Amino acid sequence: MRKSDGMNGADDDRQDPLAPGQAPEQAPAPALDRALARALPPPAVPEGFRARLLAAIERDTPLGEARERLEREQRQRLAELEASYVRLRRRTLGTLIGGAFASGAAVTLALPWLQAVLGSSTPLALAGAGALIALLIGMASLRGVRIGV
Amino acid sequence: MPIAPAVQISEDQDIAELLRAGARHRAFDLLLRRYEGKVFRLCCALLREPAQAEDAAQESLVRIWRALDSYDGRAALSTWIYAITRNRCLSALERRRPSESLSEPQIAAEAEAALAQVPMEGEDEIGEPLRALVDALPERSRRVLTLYYFEERSIEEVARMLGCPEGTVKTHLYRARAALSEQLRQHGLDHPSHWLESEHA
Repeated sequence: MRKSDGMNGADDDRQDPLAPGQAPEQAPAPALDRALARALPPPAVPEGFRARLLAAIERDTPLGEARERLEREQRQRLAELEASYVRLRRRTLGTLIGGAFASGAAVTLALPWLQAVLGSSTPLALAGAGALIALLIGMASLRGVRIGV
Repeated sequence: MPIAPAVQISEDQDIAELLRAGARHRAFDLLLRRYEGKVFRLCCALLREPAQAEDAAQESLVRIWRALDSYDGRAALSTWIYAITRNRCLSALERRRPSESLSEPQIAAEAEAALAQVPMEGEDEIGEPLRALVDALPERSRRVLTLYYFEERSIEEVARMLGCPEGTVKTHLYRARAALSEQLRQHGLDHPSHWLESEHA
């Protein structure tokens, strides 16, 4: 940002600015220039100035603009929620289908052994076990809803 | 108003482009990084009081934020920013009650008092008397001189900040320094063997 005006070199080499028409030999003493540079250091921006400024800008933002920003943020959140819900439904459906196939395969494999052990009451035992598992899953999901999971 | 140098316009071209693209927040962020300090220093030079300068700098930057969409790029961005800042400072000066500001004779009296105090060994021998003399200068010369040193001796930047030609800045600098030299001579502080040649930090 600093512009060159022919006087931005090292401190001691700097020439004093001349008034229009002033001869070079009339330039003020470099000692005064150095003394002034030491006596007038550039003030630093106060600590926290940026934060206070941004807070002031936030307060100053017109109501319509603030509403528009809030509505935009709300739309974004709703879209995120919708995407999460779709993902959850897909996972649930996938789990159910997978679970059903796995159960079917397990029963098919275990059927000869079950028939050997349980005899004619195998269908009843399988139906009872299925009902018990379904009841447990239902209770677990109900408990999950109650505690807000 | 001075014509803004082409180099300054090209330096702020990125901000103008962001504004054209509708990226107002990013443009303002860049503007802040580039001009926050300069705006504060301009307020300090115009208002003297750091607390008032901070308020004025904040108000100026809030106004700049509000008006950012209306910046059309015809003038250099720096010229536009400094004009808004100067207007805020002038309003602040007008709002000041007469009792809060010191008249020039009062400042001159304070300068005399500061010069009369003999600094103890190890104290800042240069700063206080010289600052008091600078404070006693006529207002325009004081502003130019102060900003000249705040902005690392850039006459071009001081001219932009104060919205006046570079020749005017040079004239005020010359007058201010001539007046200071005369004051120092009158108080016997101008001899090279005295504090002017000392190298205190």
